[in-house]
This record gives sequence, C-alpha cells and structure tokens, in this order.
Amino acid sequence: MKNEIADLFKNFNRKQLVFEVEDELRFHIEMLERKYAQDGMSAAAAKSAALRRFGSLERAMKQCVNIRSRNSLLRRVLKMSLILIGLIGLSLRMLGSDLNIHHIGDILIMIAISGRLLLYVRGLSPSNFLSGTNETCPSIVTETPRDGAKLRGA
Amino acid sequence: MANDRTDLMQGTLELLILNTLARESMHGYGIVQRIQENAEDLLKVEDGSLYPALYRMEERGWIKSEWGVSDNNRRAKFYKLTKAGQKQLESQRANWQRISKAVTKILQAT
Repeated sequence: MKNEIADLFKNFNRKQLVFEVEDELRFHIEMLERKYAQDGMSAAAAKSAALRRFGSLERAMKQCVNIRSRNSLLRRVLKMSLILIGLIGLSLRMLGSDLNIHHIGDILIMIAISGRLLLYVRGLSPSNFLSGTNETCPSIVTETPRDGAKLRGA
Repeated sequence: MANDRTDLMQGTLELLILNTLARESMHGYGIVQRIQENAEDLLKVEDGSLYPALYRMEERGWIKSEWGVSDNNRRAKFYKLTKAGQKQLESQRANWQRISKAVTKILQAT
C-alpha cells in the first residue's frame, strides 16, 4: 500500500519521473557498453556501438514519460472525480429546479468540463506530433540469410 | 547475414515480453537478451523501443515493476508478470498459434 501511495505522488512529480526513466534507460546502455567492451571493443567504440544499438535515447525517454504521466493513477482518479462532479451537476440541474439549486448544478458542470479540458490539454505535448514518433508499433528486425548463408541450427 | 527491417504484427513484441517474463522477473536489458537468445539471433528487438512497450504494458496491469539491484550492483528496474499478464499471455499465445496455423495453411494451399 505504501508503495502504491509513493507511486501516486512520484508520477505527479515530473522531474522525479524523468530521472527514474533516464536512470533505467542509461542502465540498459551501460550494460550494452559493458558487453561490447567484453567483446574486445575500445571504451569509445563500445559506447558508440551501444548508443547506435539502443537508438534515440531522447525519443524513448519522451515516450516513456508521456505514457506514465498520461495514465498515472492520480490522473485516473482526477478523471473519475470530474466525471462524478459532472454527473452530480447534471442531476442537480435536472432535479434541483424546484429547490432553486439548479445554478449549483450549472457550476459543477462547468467545473467538470473545464477540468476535463485542462487534463486533455496537459496530456498533449506538441513534441509528440513534431517528432512523428510512433508509440504503437515498436520495430523488430529480422535477420534473413543472403547469398547462401545458412541459418544457425538449419 | 543482412538486416531486414520487418514490421511484424501489432502486439508481437508484447507477446515476446510476456513470454519472457513468464519464467522470471527481469530488467529491460535482460528481456532483450533473452528474446535474442531464444530466437537464436534471428529476431532483434530494437532496444530503445522496448521501454515504451514495457510502460504501456505496466499501465494495462499486465506487468509490475520494482527497483532492485542488478548482478553488477547497479540500481535497475525489474519487471514481473501479474495475474492479468499471465491471462493475457495465454490469450495472445493462443491467438498467435491460431493465426500462424491459418497463414501456414493458406501458403501451403497456393
């Protein structure tokens, strides 16, 4: 339970989130560097090969941070709360005219719509459109034999 | 050997990740290494594209992450399969086998 509460606030803190994503990805690059160095490459060549193999660190980081911040638990709780406020507002608007409290309903509906719009706008990042990154289709490279080369185990 | 970039069916990487994590919890680097070992280097996952997939899968509740310490005493994030992930793996595996069987039949018929 403590971990879940910590996660809730960690996702709210973007700097912390960026730090953690970067730390995770850098670990991967360090492991690649280590592997290439063990294979006999110089430190500089290993670093260069690791970065080439990993691809764009910046793009991967951006995608991971966006996924985590768009779908964080806190964000989901906020979305649900806004839906609830909207529904209460709508009920008051429809049923509260006799008690003359339908204005409160209007205010709640406005709060729900504004809040939802704000969440939507905060979830959009122009860089997502400009970079043209595709989050849904990760690439897999297949190695195929050419010029009569035989596959291992074939 | 030449590298041919091939767009595999959507969800293939997710299936490979789920299958890899079914045995034990692993960090991202370990997952890539294991997939390549099992595929005898015929498949290469683009390392950078693994992480967005892992993050999406975690948001869907298929996997869970936890910070730990790697073999070389470096802080690393380890992923493990959840119950929902186990169910997803079974479903995706069955789906893959069904499609693979169907495509093979079609190819053999022509």
